[in-house]
Amino acid sequence: MATKRVPFWQREKYTPYLLLLPAFLILMFVVLLPLLFSLYTSFTGYRLIRPESLYDWVGLRNYRRIFTDGDFWSAFGRTILFLTIALNLEFLLGLGIALLINKITWGQRTLRTIMMFPMMFSPILVGYQFKFVFNDNIGILNNALYALGLSDGAIAWLVDKYLAMFAIIFAEVWMSTSVFAILLLAGLFAMPRDPLEAAKVDGCNSWQVFRHITLPFLMPFVFIAMTIRSLDVARAYDIVDVMTGGGPAGRTELLWTMIARTGYDNARMGQANAMAYVSILLSIAFTYYFFTKLLAARKYMGGAE
Amino acid sequence: MAEITLTNIVKNYGKLEVVHGINLDIAHNEFVVLVGPSGCGKSTTLRMIAGLEDITGGTVSIGDVVVNDLPPRKRNISMVFQNYALYPHMSVRENLGFGLKIAKQDEATIIKRVDEAADILGLDELMDRTPAELSGGQRQRVAMGRAIVRHPEAFLFDEPLSNLDAKLRVQMRTEIKKLHQKVKTTVVYVTHDQVEAMTLADRIVVMKDGYIEQVGTPMDVFNNPVNTFVASFIGSPPMNLLPATIKGKNIVFADDKSLPVPVRLTGLVRDGQEVVFGLRPDDLTPVGHGIAESGDGAKVTLDIVLSELLGTETILYTSIAGQEAQGKMFGPRIVAPGETLEFDVAMDKAHLFDAATGKSVRVE
Amino acid sequence: MEGSIRKRVGAVATWLLTFILMIIICVPGLWVILTAFRPNGEVLAKPPVWIPENPGLGNFAKIFGFGGDQIAIPVSAYFANSLIIALTSTVIALLIGMSGGYAFARYRFKFKNGLFLGLMLSRTVPGIALSLPVFMIWSRIGLIDAKMGLIIVYVAMNVPFTIWLIDGFFRQIPKEMSEAAQVDGCTRWQAFWKIEFPLAKSGIASAGIFAFLTSWNEYALASNLTRSTDSKTLPVGLMDFTAQFTIDWAGMSAMAVIIIVPALILTFLVQKHLIAGLTFGGVKG
Repeated sequence: MATKRVPFWQREKYTPYLLLLPAFLILMFVVLLPLLFSLYTSFTGYRLIRPESLYDWVGLRNYRRIFTDGDFWSAFGRTILFLTIALNLEFLLGLGIALLINKITWGQRTLRTIMMFPMMFSPILVGYQFKFVFNDNIGILNNALYALGLSDGAIAWLVDKYLAMFAIIFAEVWMSTSVFAILLLAGLFAMPRDPLEAAKVDGCNSWQVFRHITLPFLMPFVFIAMTIRSLDVARAYDIVDVMTGGGPAGRTELLWTMIARTGYDNARMGQANAMAYVSILLSIAFTYYFFTKLLAARKYMGGAE
Repeated sequence: MAEITLTNIVKNYGKLEVVHGINLDIAHNEFVVLVGPSGCGKSTTLRMIAGLEDITGGTVSIGDVVVNDLPPRKRNISMVFQNYALYPHMSVRENLGFGLKIAKQDEATIIKRVDEAADILGLDELMDRTPAELSGGQRQRVAMGRAIVRHPEAFLFDEPLSNLDAKLRVQMRTEIKKLHQKVKTTVVYVTHDQVEAMTLADRIVVMKDGYIEQVGTPMDVFNNPVNTFVASFIGSPPMNLLPATIKGKNIVFADDKSLPVPVRLTGLVRDGQEVVFGLRPDDLTPVGHGIAESGDGAKVTLDIVLSELLGTETILYTSIAGQEAQGKMFGPRIVAPGETLEFDVAMDKAHLFDAATGKSVRVE
Repeated sequence: MEGSIRKRVGAVATWLLTFILMIIICVPGLWVILTAFRPNGEVLAKPPVWIPENPGLGNFAKIFGFGGDQIAIPVSAYFANSLIIALTSTVIALLIGMSGGYAFARYRFKFKNGLFLGLMLSRTVPGIALSLPVFMIWSRIGLIDAKMGLIIVYVAMNVPFTIWLIDGFFRQIPKEMSEAAQVDGCTRWQAFWKIEFPLAKSGIASAGIFAFLTSWNEYALASNLTRSTDSKTLPVGLMDFTAQFTIDWAGMSAMAVIIIVPALILTFLVQKHLIAGLTFGGVKG
């Protein structure tokens, strides 16, 4: 009873690889290959206006240069600061909003839908919107403050060093808090009631219940949100580009706007690629950190189920 | 023509072997139940027959055809899943007719066969509902209906009743039995519930850790378990298993009390052999309250630790030589803990297993 | 009694907070929308005009080039580009994502977790950082200022997330469904299209909407890979306004509305499945 051997691509063992092939081909072509190319470029003195400079191997000069550049370090530090403040604020506000909406029974669905809108806004629109709101001359914020008698003139929101940073962080938080709020709300909905009730019976007050039952249960959801957020932290580039363009005088320059300026405006591709690599490593580090946290939390959740 | 033959079936997951070379012949129209604790390989075996798992080694044939490399759809079998796997986006009628539609049967045939199946299972009222609108028992029936419309050569059941509540389970068990009597087909049925196995099977296959422990009719498996595992797995409450030593013509327990070696087993044990004495609770009954006549009997006096009244019978918990043992009492009488009763021991029903191998002394 | 007072205070506080929250979320957007329907002069007026005095569709007519009062920004071309690029890249990303998501949901294979992580990490590369090498390569193979150039990039950008979401949706469908269909006579391919796909349809649709929005909203790459009306998208086009000497706030707002509206509608459609997809995919593993 001879049976025909199945051709290898129809065999169960190879199917998943075959199914994943298109995904990996496109990522290879659009992400991996370009990244390798840009890694090479970061070791050259490539300038857009001088194509032959692509073969001008300069070793670590670009890296040496950016690492000894005060402007780079202040942009780098500002980026870290920006991310730390924004992500923490988003988490805290998101948690607060989730708890708030979870309490509300009437109109909850509508609130949830509205909550999701900022997430879907184009970052460029968020930037434009807040450029408009924070405009010193015709912005609604200054107009409102003036009308309410809280200020007597134009506050230069987007010009002052601290106020401009504040405005950018505000826009970023406005856009992304809903990622946390939505996911944490989903977590609250998914939460089993028994442990909550058991804790109450065991004599916990509401704070203790929150601290020891609710919060640990929500942690995987926090990490999902953090992972998702860390995937696209660089969307902040769009916001900053519209609102201040990194200016005035580099006061709101983040790593990403600096890359764009160096690469496109100053046409120093080699150096820009070196910076880009720093930003990529930063993003990967963020994502990897939260992803492993997520995996750990998931394991622990699995045990509890 | 639907014998199913398993020859040296092996299943590996990566390096882990979970089924170790099983041989089984299932006759045409036979109802065979694979039973065993979870992880014993029974479902894996069933899924290999269905074609849902690759067969690592050995052959499966259905009819005369080796089906190892045939996909499920070419094996002409149908299967009822534990969670029914009804298609939620289709009505009951569409669920039943799906297989026929895929097989490109004409509309009239589909309607005829679907109605026929609906009739057998009493689904006529439910035909336009979706699975979400059905109760557990109804879903179960639809799943069975979906299996029978295609007139397959064999039905495979994978723990079909385990998602139902106790009462419904008993009811559906009878329905499956009736169904098999109406629609004569080969059935392979997987369960971990020995009661289901006993009530449904023509033949029971007891499995453990990827090996077949015993194959036989329910009566055979119940009366002549080949080892201590089968003995404890089949029958409820389980058989009492007590370590003892053979001394001459006696079975001597740890507390030096003894019982005579049953006549039918006398030639099979040797002096000094370490054994396990097996006795079903039904065969350990207070004098005057048993069902078995103790022809080849003995009597023991035991203290009652606890009694569970079940109605017509009472389970008595006692201890023999420091080991917990259960007896049964038939007839209306309340037994208080601490009471001491004299028991009949139906020695003609008793079993002896070799302590080292766990095998019944009869098979050695 | 005291308890009920406390409860009532709590309820009021809850509502107050919710109200403030909604104001912060809604007002900036609403203000932009309001501005889109008023002339630029009114926007610049001092003292500010709060309630539009001359509401109208003038700005929209202007940016789409109706009537005499046109502006130099070809919004209709940008709109068409955005639509073509976003739709095409979404369809392709969905096909690739379905295939990949199915592999992760239904098969066990070597390096599964590693491949998944690699997929996710590819998505972390900041758009602006990726744009540099893509710009250099695309300009060599003639994909700069071409719709195809952006489409390819957006497919790659969307594939990881689409796979993640679709993986989650397929996981929610018991494996037995497909097995039952195969026993019922389907090939694996038929079982997929007749059983699993219809069941995951709404989930896949929302993954599609999400991919569409990502492409529709993208700026960092588009702004560097496009040059002219051949391929410029709406977000890039929005920045055309700022290049002018005085900012045409009203026109810009009208254009913003054109970008927002599809996003809002699609968000509304997608919300339920998106949350389900993200949490299932993430937590249940």
